[in-house]
Amino acid sequence: MIRIAWRSLLAHKLRSFLTALAILLGVAMISGTYVFTDQISRAFDEIYSEAFKGTDVTITRTSSFSSDYGAAVGGLPESMVEDVRAVDGVKEANGYISGMGAIAVDGEVVETGGSPTLFFSYVPSAMSATSYVEGDPPTKPGEIAVVKGLAEDEGLGIGSPVTVIADTGTYETRVSGVFTFASESSLGGSLLLNTTFEDGQLWFDLDGQVSEIDVTAADGVSPDALATRLRAALPEEADVKTGEQAAADASQQISDALGTFINPVLLSLGGVAVLVGAFIIFNAFSMTVAQRRREFALLRALGALRRQVMWSITGEALVMGVLASVLGLVVGMGFAAGVNALMKALNVDIPTSSLVMQPRTVIVGLVVGISITLLSAVVPALRATRVPPVAALQEGATLPAARYSRFTPYVAAAVAALGVLGMVNGMYGVGSTTQRLLAMAVGAVLLFVAVAMLSKYFVAPVAGFIGWPLTRVAKTSGRLARDNSMRNPARTAATASALMIGLGVVVFVAVFAQGLKSSFVDGFDQVVRADYVVAATNYLTLPGDTARRLEYVPAVDTSAGVNIQVVQTGGAKKTTTTLNGVEPSTFSKVWSFDWIEGDDTVLPKLGTDGALLEEQTARSLGVKVGDSFSVQSPEGEKAGFEVRGIYRDPMMLVGITVGDAAYDRLSPRSQLYMVLVTATGAQGADKAALEGALADVPTADVMTAAEYKDMMVGSINQLLNLLYGLLAMSVIISLFGIVNTLVLSVYERTREIGLLRAIGASRRQIRRSVRYESVITSVIGGVLGILVGIVFAYVVTTRFGGMGIKFSVPGAQLVVFLVIAVVVGVLAAILPARRAARIDILEAIHYE
Amino acid sequence: METMDREATQTAPAGPACEASDLDAADAVVVARGITRDYGEGDAAVHALRGVDVDMVRGRLTAIMGPSGSGKSTLMHILAGLDEPTAGTVEVDGIEITSLKERELTQLRRDKIGFIFQTLNLLPTLTAQENIELPMTIAGRKGDGQWVGQLIDTVGLADRLDHKPAELSGGQQQRVAVARALVGRPAVLFADEPTGNLDSKTGDQVLDLLRRSVDDFGQTIVMVTHDAHAASIADRLLFLHDGRIVYDCGRMARDEIFEVIKSLEDRR
Ligand SMILES: Nc1ncnc2c1ncn2[C@@H]1O[C@H](COP(=O)(O)OP(=O)(O)OP(=O)(O)O)[C@@H](O)[C@H]1O
Ligand SMILES: [Mg+2]
Repeated sequence: MIRIAWRSLLAHKLRSFLTALAILLGVAMISGTYVFTDQISRAFDEIYSEAFKGTDVTITRTSSFSSDYGAAVGGLPESMVEDVRAVDGVKEANGYISGMGAIAVDGEVVETGGSPTLFFSYVPSAMSATSYVEGDPPTKPGEIAVVKGLAEDEGLGIGSPVTVIADTGTYETRVSGVFTFASESSLGGSLLLNTTFEDGQLWFDLDGQVSEIDVTAADGVSPDALATRLRAALPEEADVKTGEQAAADASQQISDALGTFINPVLLSLGGVAVLVGAFIIFNAFSMTVAQRRREFALLRALGALRRQVMWSITGEALVMGVLASVLGLVVGMGFAAGVNALMKALNVDIPTSSLVMQPRTVIVGLVVGISITLLSAVVPALRATRVPPVAALQEGATLPAARYSRFTPYVAAAVAALGVLGMVNGMYGVGSTTQRLLAMAVGAVLLFVAVAMLSKYFVAPVAGFIGWPLTRVAKTSGRLARDNSMRNPARTAATASALMIGLGVVVFVAVFAQGLKSSFVDGFDQVVRADYVVAATNYLTLPGDTARRLEYVPAVDTSAGVNIQVVQTGGAKKTTTTLNGVEPSTFSKVWSFDWIEGDDTVLPKLGTDGALLEEQTARSLGVKVGDSFSVQSPEGEKAGFEVRGIYRDPMMLVGITVGDAAYDRLSPRSQLYMVLVTATGAQGADKAALEGALADVPTADVMTAAEYKDMMVGSINQLLNLLYGLLAMSVIISLFGIVNTLVLSVYERTREIGLLRAIGASRRQIRRSVRYESVITSVIGGVLGILVGIVFAYVVTTRFGGMGIKFSVPGAQLVVFLVIAVVVGVLAAILPARRAARIDILEAIHYE
Repeated sequence: METMDREATQTAPAGPACEASDLDAADAVVVARGITRDYGEGDAAVHALRGVDVDMVRGRLTAIMGPSGSGKSTLMHILAGLDEPTAGTVEVDGIEITSLKERELTQLRRDKIGFIFQTLNLLPTLTAQENIELPMTIAGRKGDGQWVGQLIDTVGLADRLDHKPAELSGGQQQRVAVARALVGRPAVLFADEPTGNLDSKTGDQVLDLLRRSVDDFGQTIVMVTHDAHAASIADRLLFLHDGRIVYDCGRMARDEIFEVIKSLEDRR
């Protein structure tokens, strides 16, 4: 049977190729995702295990809770290093400082694309992962050493000036040496710098403290044993880990970060591609079966069992599924390399190691590819078994309807109901976020399938409607195209559905993002009264005195900063939220609170124990004005607050807002996120004045309110473009589906086309009619996709309305998507149209 | 070689004689000279036509007959510009067509030629009326309403105009095809066994239609047929045998035609 299947595949090379391509690309996206993220995890594994190689035990400050935002915790007392050295079994112990900031070369901040710029003090020790390739480690204040990759990129040599920007201020330094870290000349996109111990303490506000103590064990003492001893000897605030554990934890954190965002996003995009592929396979096999109707009838007449007919088709699907999946794995490696290149092009620097295909990747790829192919071929195969032997003697290529086809509307309704259930369960149900997202995804898939099943009932009138303008433009070609696309509604529906899914997801993303953007802009406009926003580049914080310094600029009326840190609230069930610290007396001049309870007069009276809550936080804490609640910082500091007011602001000041004095109780170090400025003078002059006042803080970016909004919207757009790029794959796959259908339609209509040519139709008219048919199909898919995408986005945004995301339809973009649908149709038609136009009249007339 | 073939054509064959057609070859719509058509090359070559000279007279119905494989369809295709001869020239309504480019051939088919095939003459998605008007639509011309009406009357399908081909009988379909072929007032109408798939009664209706279009509208028709009865309505009959025209006769009765056919079949 496999041999028959193989023959059939070879006999229809183009169709087999296009069908296989659909599944191949889906498998490639899924396996490529794994290869891509595995590679990142592995790269970090290697780096961290190298970084902690000589270190047996490492001690850091205990964080009272771990947050996704990597909240900064302070250091350990410097004296603890001596305590550690005193513990039996310790061979060597060194304390050092580490911190994050930014550097500038020639007044320009060195961009990292979101990765951190890490400083750590140099310790002359065998433990250290740094090794100097040029010059010497920093020894005097104002000396700094840079990692090799940075020196190369920025053209730094011994003696080059480098400006260091830390939360405490800006410092001028000179390069004393160049090093490699863990034998790497760079660590992903991060910048690494060595400082002296004293500079580190000064820059990172760690006077009398160390960030970390690294320990080597004496001979014969195992790291585990030493860690146990140290834990016993040191106070609670010291978090003791073996080097191995610390390396594992660090790379686990990376894997978790990948696992919670990049992996699911890429995998679901791969899933969309596979789903699109499934429709194409289903369609291709349906068409194959219809075409080979007589062949099956003949087989049956010759005594073949239904089972054997069934086998000959599923066998073909199996061969195709295996081939496409295996090739898909290979292409997946290329896909991973492509994503690497894309990231690089978008300036997202990630460490890469060699691309590896883990057994898990192979298994998932093969299972998904083969099972989807087989599943999609089952219904057509079943229909083939229903071809009666007598069909061998009949004209035409219509298939008997599937046995239960009259139940299709009911089945579709049931599938739709299940889909709605899944969506509802995902949005309102209980369970972990992953479970709920999964329920929503399954619900969405089922809804797509239901729409696809039902679409054969309305595709004909819709095609008639869409085709109408074409019949005006070009009477014959338009008319033929329209009629042909209405001729086999099930086929047109399945072909269009493939595009519907890809475009539907694109539209969903677009509408959702539009809601996000317009909500942000509206939210910003509503609350921000400032003329200027000063924020730090590279997701850093501003020096703590920025707001104060700007007050001295003559044109400035008010300059008020917002400090932000992550804190934990609540009683038994702790939740993480943001704590905003503002200057109580001036903040209302730059900020217009949307009060639910309270008014601007409560602000100056906040003191050290008054707090304002954003509506949602108030609700989740279950507190009203007058109630008290407590907050804990990552360092473990606790403070109690009384609710003095409640406001609505889901976009900007989420969480808890307190006065600076209260903020300092929880975190003495400044974490200035932005400064809002109102000014009196002319815009251009003011901006220049503000920039002048901050000339020595290269990370400070002075923006007008409008520029700030543009920047935020721009960063959403950047993410959007990445998503669009990946979703394009699904659209391309559905394009192949249209090609596939058209090639077959043209083939089936050879005789008609010959007749048309004989009575005077030109090649151009034939080409055009195929192209129009293609466009009608693709526009149906596009319109359906846009509708479904808008509905999904509406449902989801309504559900998450509380988070401040509004429902907003990007009209102009939808037009663009429709144009894309038309372009897909035109492109898909190129090959089939050419084939149709080349049909030889004589051959066509003799063709049966 | 070619001259020899041509001489062979001229040689009167042994067998039943027919009255030579008395038509005036000076007024010819289609003029073919020295047509040969070979399929394949070398030893395996099939000589479908071995040198045919023929003039199709304006306003007459010419039937092409001959045993299966004698080259009837091949000749018709070449005369209609659907196929290219290996050698020889064809003029349709004064235009030399063997050297025309694809685009010019399309134009020729629009302006000067009508076709009726044995089966599947109509587009299944269009109604009868739309099928009839199809050549005009394709050419982007405004149909002559009066002429279309007259044709519809002639083919007698006024009450079936809104039906799709699948809802029409085979005979009705062929009548629609005749109307479709006539709608552009082609210089010449080619029909390849137009009644081949019909029973004698419906076949007669179609033949009657063809005959009337010649008599009433002065249409020129070239019809390939196997059927002696169909051929008996022709003004002139050409008999092909082995790629050559062996008889060129005027009107013949059915019995006479049978006799010629029989003699040709005996020859092999
Ligand atoms: N495409 C082709 N390739 C090779 N040989 C061909 C081709 N078309 C026709 N022939 C040969 O040319 C000869 C003439 O064929 P043609 O179709 O003209 O015959 P015909 O008189 O129309 O026969 P019938 O009455 O069966 O339709 C035959 O021997 C046939 O086998
Ligand atoms: Mg023939």
